[in-house]
Amino acid sequence: MRKLAFAVLAALAVLLVLLPGCGEAPSGIVVWHAYRGGEQKALEEIASRWSRESGVKVTTLAVPYDAYAAKLEAAIPRGNGPDVFVSPHERLGSYRQNGLVAPVGDALPESETASYEPVALDAISADGERWAVPLATKCVALYMNEALLGEKAPATLEELLAAKSRLPAGVLPLAYEAQSPYFHAALLHAYGGKLFDGTTFAMVGPEAERAATRLRELATTGMIPPDASGDDVKRLFVSGKAASVISGPWLASDLGTRVPYVVVPLPAVEGAGKMKPYLTVDGAFLTPTGAKRTEARSFARELASLDAARTRAKVGAQVVASRAFWSERDAGTPLLRAFHDAAQDAVPMPSSVAMRATWVPAQQALLKVLRGDATPHDALEEAKARYDDIMRPPSPSPSPAPLVAVLGMALLALAIFAVRRVSAPGFRAELRASAPAYKYVLHAALTIFVLVVLPLVAGAATSFYAGTRDAFRFVGLENYVEILTARGKPLLSHGSFYFTLLVTVAWTIVNVTLHVAIGLVLGILLARPFLRLRAIYRVLLILPWAVPSYVTALAWKGMFHRQFGAINAILAAFGAEPVSWFSKFSTAFAANVATNVWLGFPFMMVVVMGALTSIPKDVLEAAEVDGATRWQSFKLVTLPLLRPTLLPAVVLGSVWTFNMFNVVFLVSGGEPDGTTDILVSEAYRWAFARNAQIGYAAAYSVIIFGLLALMSRVLGKIGGGSQEEAA
Amino acid sequence: MSEGIHQASRTVGKESKPAASERPGAAAAPRALRCSAKGIQKSFGATTILRGVDLQIPEGSFAVLVGPSGCGKSTLLRLVAGLEMADAGTITLAGKDVTKLPPRDRDIAMVFQSYALYPHLTVRENLAFGLELRKTPKNEIAERIKEASAMLGLDKLLDRLPKQMSGGQRQRVAMGRAIVRRPNLFLFDEPLSNLDAALRAEVRVDIRRLHDRLGATTLYVTHDQVEAMTLADTLWVLNGGLVEQKGPPLEIYERPKTRFVATFLGSPQMNMLDGILAKESGRFYAEGGGLRALVDEDRFGSALEDGRAVSIGVRPHDLGLAKDGVPPAGELKVELVEMLGSEAFAHGWLRQSAPSIIARLDADDARALSPGRAVPLAVAPSRVHLFDPASGRSLAE
Repeated sequence: MRKLAFAVLAALAVLLVLLPGCGEAPSGIVVWHAYRGGEQKALEEIASRWSRESGVKVTTLAVPYDAYAAKLEAAIPRGNGPDVFVSPHERLGSYRQNGLVAPVGDALPESETASYEPVALDAISADGERWAVPLATKCVALYMNEALLGEKAPATLEELLAAKSRLPAGVLPLAYEAQSPYFHAALLHAYGGKLFDGTTFAMVGPEAERAATRLRELATTGMIPPDASGDDVKRLFVSGKAASVISGPWLASDLGTRVPYVVVPLPAVEGAGKMKPYLTVDGAFLTPTGAKRTEARSFARELASLDAARTRAKVGAQVVASRAFWSERDAGTPLLRAFHDAAQDAVPMPSSVAMRATWVPAQQALLKVLRGDATPHDALEEAKARYDDIMRPPSPSPSPAPLVAVLGMALLALAIFAVRRVSAPGFRAELRASAPAYKYVLHAALTIFVLVVLPLVAGAATSFYAGTRDAFRFVGLENYVEILTARGKPLLSHGSFYFTLLVTVAWTIVNVTLHVAIGLVLGILLARPFLRLRAIYRVLLILPWAVPSYVTALAWKGMFHRQFGAINAILAAFGAEPVSWFSKFSTAFAANVATNVWLGFPFMMVVVMGALTSIPKDVLEAAEVDGATRWQSFKLVTLPLLRPTLLPAVVLGSVWTFNMFNVVFLVSGGEPDGTTDILVSEAYRWAFARNAQIGYAAAYSVIIFGLLALMSRVLGKIGGGSQEEAA
Repeated sequence: MSEGIHQASRTVGKESKPAASERPGAAAAPRALRCSAKGIQKSFGATTILRGVDLQIPEGSFAVLVGPSGCGKSTLLRLVAGLEMADAGTITLAGKDVTKLPPRDRDIAMVFQSYALYPHLTVRENLAFGLELRKTPKNEIAERIKEASAMLGLDKLLDRLPKQMSGGQRQRVAMGRAIVRRPNLFLFDEPLSNLDAALRAEVRVDIRRLHDRLGATTLYVTHDQVEAMTLADTLWVLNGGLVEQKGPPLEIYERPKTRFVATFLGSPQMNMLDGILAKESGRFYAEGGGLRALVDEDRFGSALEDGRAVSIGVRPHDLGLAKDGVPPAGELKVELVEMLGSEAFAHGWLRQSAPSIIARLDADDARALSPGRAVPLAVAPSRVHLFDPASGRSLAE
């Protein structure tokens, strides 16, 4: 009876899992977007209106922005995706590469091109085709504090900066994320430079150098903050410490009425041209299936219609890309108008996949220029070299023969070993005797195989491939050769495997030493029975361990902030100059270490406290009677007795620290110039920040795995040996 | 184990010490004090452990602190060692006031109940530990380890770790660690309680033998009265944080000054019966619980009064079958007989509803006994102890 009930339940469970998969295809169309708030409301309003009129059901789905591209990539090829999706245009290259979009066809007929802003049309066009229906544009503009600067738009940058003399002391005339290439682009374009020319990194040459020189000037003359994040910019503006800032429409929603401001297009630069920011165009894209459906195409077209534009402008506060809308009298709010004006001069962001690899080298170069670590020429040339290095195509596929030979040899050796093992006397009897035991470990072995062994093998296999998705091919051991030869550069140059390894080893040694030292001292202090409030201290000291490490890492990053960080504030209280923590290797490394020590010492402390309780009290008393001072009894008795427990903890701690991605990535982020990156964060960058070179990153990972396996073995041997002797 | 001690012939004690074979009882002149404590008080929080204890240990003597759990004997030992500090009182070692000194400045050696060997060091390193801390020259350390290990039969174990040895072997290493130090004073904290019974008896003898050979002044804590009786030159019985009685063990056994001491020492316990003194034809009898025993008037003297309420104590070993016309002191109604082979203990009572008592009988006499029978018992007058029922003090002066 019970068996039957169980079977029914199981069948139900299976059905529940399978049902959503075999549901009917929806008769209406599915629209994905990453909008929130007003923009989402506007979109849904338009959809339901169109649905009523056309009789076609529209399902809108809001997908979190961070996961948007990944979800599209996962869903569309499997047929679970939307028919229409709304996205910024700069991902077009990647969408096309992955086959996620199709030309829009009659959703944007030739006859209607005139009703769109030309710059927006330009952005969504590629290879003579239109790939989306332009909906709205986004670019940055100049926010001016009316109380400080009045509401008249400055004609030139110089005019704006000249206001400095009239501003109260300590107030910057201008603030923006100067180190970010996205913001620097406006200045770059003013001087006629380019970040990307369609095929390669283009922020080099005299124009780019002039723009960079100007940038450095702005920072050295105290016109702009040298290293401000988006949050800093906002804070400066709200607090009145910056008279004007360059930012996008998103800032307006954060400002409210806290500060009186007016938005105007970016000014021109004397002796150069107008500052032209990058323009992003939100478009309605059609997936390959969606493009075949009339309903989907007509909904995309409807989204861009004048009616819809009005709704989007009014409800969603979008700077719509419809010319018809703007030709109306008093169209939009003054704020929207200002951004619309600003968009007129803007440069559409290149949508090529290769463009994405420009950001990191460009930002590193700008940071160097801002800090004066390198001349504009050198910094930009270095950025170009880095870009080229990242984008270097893998060498032609070598013959897989050597690798096959190596693998074959390994398999042969394994087979020989297995045969010898099986043919050993008594093996069968042993196997038979232990057969029942296999039943008990089978599920665990399977789980380990699926969750640990398979990914490991898959990862190792990936390391024999190179290139990004479009050109993913077998290269044998080339990734390893590249890594181990430092990509043909000097062995200890910045970013080379050996340099990173050296940093990683130093990072591990310094951290683990401090973990153990602090853990020992605190563990021993807390073990003293006469310490008052011991329980409270213990909880307080274990607390850093209980907080998720990324939260701690972000908190520490904030504390090390040059302008607003607590640490500089404390230093300032003692009259010290503020330290720019992430601009020098030594201070950035120290900041990382401080964070990781904070995270890591509680573990060692707990281990020490546990180990201390296992040391019999009378052994210590015997030492005391034997004439040992407190220090002698610690050195000669306590410490040797802690060793067997501490060593495995040190091995574990070393492995964790060696791979402590969170802290390095979140605190220094590799600053300055990638020098504080450790092997794992470097591997991460190859996989996710440098043109998605998954194979290369996999090779890094395999090398890290090998190093750690070796280290654990060596340390474990030391630990095992001493345990024999001391336990 | 004992062969080891027989083999060693040399004396390892300090040069100044008196000849080892001399027992304190035999010494004509009083000896200098090696260790003394005066008015020692100690509390842990609200719990008072010691309430003003005095202690004197002459050169070369073997003092044993004995008492029930919680009487403060271990605390007193730890105070002498310097592992605890006294709240009041002074401790003098070899003529020096050490009350406030840490253990390392007292030059004492201690053998712990759990041996407390350094688990990460070999036997040799364990023995050398204290000497190396004191910067003793290398060759002398080797010399002393050789002597001590020969004496204790540790020669073949010198390179072993504690965990590779038996309990008895570890015990010997712990003693060796004390011996090599040649300290002012040896302290033993219940050193035999972790050993099994057979080994305990053996090591007990060894400890006394060692003491005699080395002439080492020793303070030994135990709750085991057999150890206390057999080892001590002077026995100190502690109770409730005070010294209840001190003296040579036999004297304490035979002339306990309080009911506590009387019942604490001796196994099985002394029988206690409430009763009165009765004077009959010019002689005093102690009567109670069915017992009627003649009292030794020389011992109690003027404390004897007709009709006085007393606690009457008689050790089971002093109660025997009344034979050959000796007038019986009572008739034991046997309830149970414990046969131990060479002797037997008969449990029962002398009168209905009186407290149960125990009598030791010869095995041959006991063989005929069975529960329910009654046998006449006799006791010698010198073996009858009398205590004041209120204060518990002996009536003897």
